[in-house]
Amino acid sequence: MNSDALNVLLADDDEDDRLLFKEALGELKVKTNVVLLNDGVQLMNFLNDPATLLPDIVFLDLNMPKKGGMQCLQEIRSDKKLKDLSIAIYSTSASEKDIEETFIKGANVYIKKPNDFSSLKKILTEVISMKWQYHTSGLNKEHFLLSL
Amino acid sequence: MKLINISPIYILGLFIISVFLLFFISSISYQQIKSLDESGKLVARTKDINAELEHLYGLIEFAQSTQRGYLTTNDLAYLDPYYSVPNKIDTCIHNLRLLMADNVHQQANLNVITVLIHRKNASLEDEVSAKKNNISNAELVTQIQFGNLLMDSIRVKINDMNSLELKSLQSREKEHAHDVKLTPKSTLVLLFFSLFIFIFSFYKINKDRINLKKINNQLLITKETFEHAEQIAEISNWSWDIDKNKLSFSNNQYRLLGCQPHEFTPSVENFLEFVHPDDRAIILEGNNRVLADAQPSVSYFRIIRKDGKQRYFKSLGKLISDSYGKKIMIGINSDITDQYNKDKTLEEKVFELERSNNELSAFNHVASHDLQEPLRKIQTFISRIETSDLENLSERGKDYFKRIVSAANRMQVLIDDLLMFSRTNKANKVFEISDLNELLSSSKQELMQSIDEKSANVTSDRLPTINVIPFQIRQLFFNIIGNSLKYSKAEIIPEINITSKLVSGKDIPDANTANDKPYYKISITDNGIGFEPKYADSIFNLFNRLHEDKEYSGTGIGLTICKKIVENHKGFIRAQGFPDKGSIFDFYLPVD
Repeated sequence: MNSDALNVLLADDDEDDRLLFKEALGELKVKTNVVLLNDGVQLMNFLNDPATLLPDIVFLDLNMPKKGGMQCLQEIRSDKKLKDLSIAIYSTSASEKDIEETFIKGANVYIKKPNDFSSLKKILTEVISMKWQYHTSGLNKEHFLLSL
Repeated sequence: MKLINISPIYILGLFIISVFLLFFISSISYQQIKSLDESGKLVARTKDINAELEHLYGLIEFAQSTQRGYLTTNDLAYLDPYYSVPNKIDTCIHNLRLLMADNVHQQANLNVITVLIHRKNASLEDEVSAKKNNISNAELVTQIQFGNLLMDSIRVKINDMNSLELKSLQSREKEHAHDVKLTPKSTLVLLFFSLFIFIFSFYKINKDRINLKKINNQLLITKETFEHAEQIAEISNWSWDIDKNKLSFSNNQYRLLGCQPHEFTPSVENFLEFVHPDDRAIILEGNNRVLADAQPSVSYFRIIRKDGKQRYFKSLGKLISDSYGKKIMIGINSDITDQYNKDKTLEEKVFELERSNNELSAFNHVASHDLQEPLRKIQTFISRIETSDLENLSERGKDYFKRIVSAANRMQVLIDDLLMFSRTNKANKVFEISDLNELLSSSKQELMQSIDEKSANVTSDRLPTINVIPFQIRQLFFNIIGNSLKYSKAEIIPEINITSKLVSGKDIPDANTANDKPYYKISITDNGIGFEPKYADSIFNLFNRLHEDKEYSGTGIGLTICKKIVENHKGFIRAQGFPDKGSIFDFYLPVD
């Protein structure tokens, strides 16, 4: 594992999305180490494992079997060790309700899964190079939903 | 209806006056008759006294003449009747005493006369004794002369008494005459007065009676009307005298229970027989509630009619006090079965609607998420191939691939529009005072890319600030201007002009609004390809597309959304098409 690289984690039940996500990251200039997980249960187990090196950014799908993204977000934010993790919601839905709720629960940014590969690369670049201190304040709702 | 209000005091006063007058008249007449009677009696007595006095005098004269007969003839036979006279005189004086018992004056006169008569008698006796003893004629003459003097005195006294009696009779008759002269006048006055009162009373009573009859008649009509109304409205009324536990029903109450009027004796128990066994407690509770709170109370219960049919009743009970202060519970029963059934049907329909609405929103979820997901992936993979592997395809493959791209994009647009349409239907409609200029400029911002591509010229008047759902009006501008841009002519620069005008509701074509409320008419005019005027209405229908041409691909949802938005604002939207010249879209929003 490259120690200079950024540690990125994606929890998404959709295999295609995981594949595209990995490919998109691979084509970026920034070096990243990617962990791909299938659902919320796997995510929480991974994060709670003492041997785990905590990722720099967690990309979290909302609609997942076993344990959804919303619940994971809640658990992470109420966990002393994990509460400062940077979380980007990565979802097909762009419903007002989901955006509002994840914002309130303390997600840092909301990404609607784009429908072409170049957009995906663009948005991932933006997220990764983001100045996270602005987004951790949790006050900036206007820029919460990331659009291109 | 005018009600007569006769004060009982007024009637009582009239009655007392009448009774008093009758008594007065009767007593006057009685007095008068009594006085007449007394006068008559008095006259008769005077005559009796007169006769008795004359009789008395006659007796004395008789005694004297018989005695004289003896004196002249010396025949003793003359003395026989003479001796019977004193007794007769005593009887006569006794009679007179009785007749004059109430007159002290005459009594005194009578005493004098009695004494004179005794002396006369004594004088006659003396003369007889003298004759018997053969006294001289001269002496006898002296004695006779003395006797004659006595006789004269008696005569004078009797005359006195007669005249006294006559005098008193005259004064009595004078008094009586005065009475008789006065009383007819007063009696007549009283008679007329009482006659007047009786006629007045009769008139009054008769008038009241006629009024009463009139009112009774009106009451009868009202009663009939009410009964008729009860039958039509399927209601009935009842009243319950609580103290006597006496219940009475209107005729329609029996009918509502499927019976003939007065088919059974109304009582709480008999009524409960018709109430559905499960609902009987409701009636009793309702009654108790009215009795306890003295507040009107509504109950709903089921009735099993005589023919076994179940009906739904609503009952309103109320406690009142009648004019004697007695507590009476009155109420209205209403057969609400028809309404109940309608409500039930309506309820079922609402339920059905809710269910289909829920299905619709489930469908929306499918459209928004489940359909989008695979489509997004298709598009993403398409973009992967486009950037890296397109060259490896054959020419035919490349053509097919292009068609796949186009179909996928079209599907994307369709899904987006459908979502927008359903959101227009159900999104929270929060009205805010908004500046339409701002909403328009934000729509233009969103369309900037398209405007720039076509170098379109979008101009606008100063627009009003009104109460609208901001995001929907933004959508409205977006859709109509987007439409104008989409259906612009390739060879000329698209000119889109937005104007605003204040109009009256009556001026909106085909709006069926008789109101003259003010509306803002916002017109969006373009110089695009336009459309046939005959499509001016159908253009707003869902999935109605006028252009099959691929160049002008649309989903047929955009304008439907516009119509929906305007309707959400209680406004109207109209389109005018001029083929190859352009089109005008007017929407009208109420000023307030």
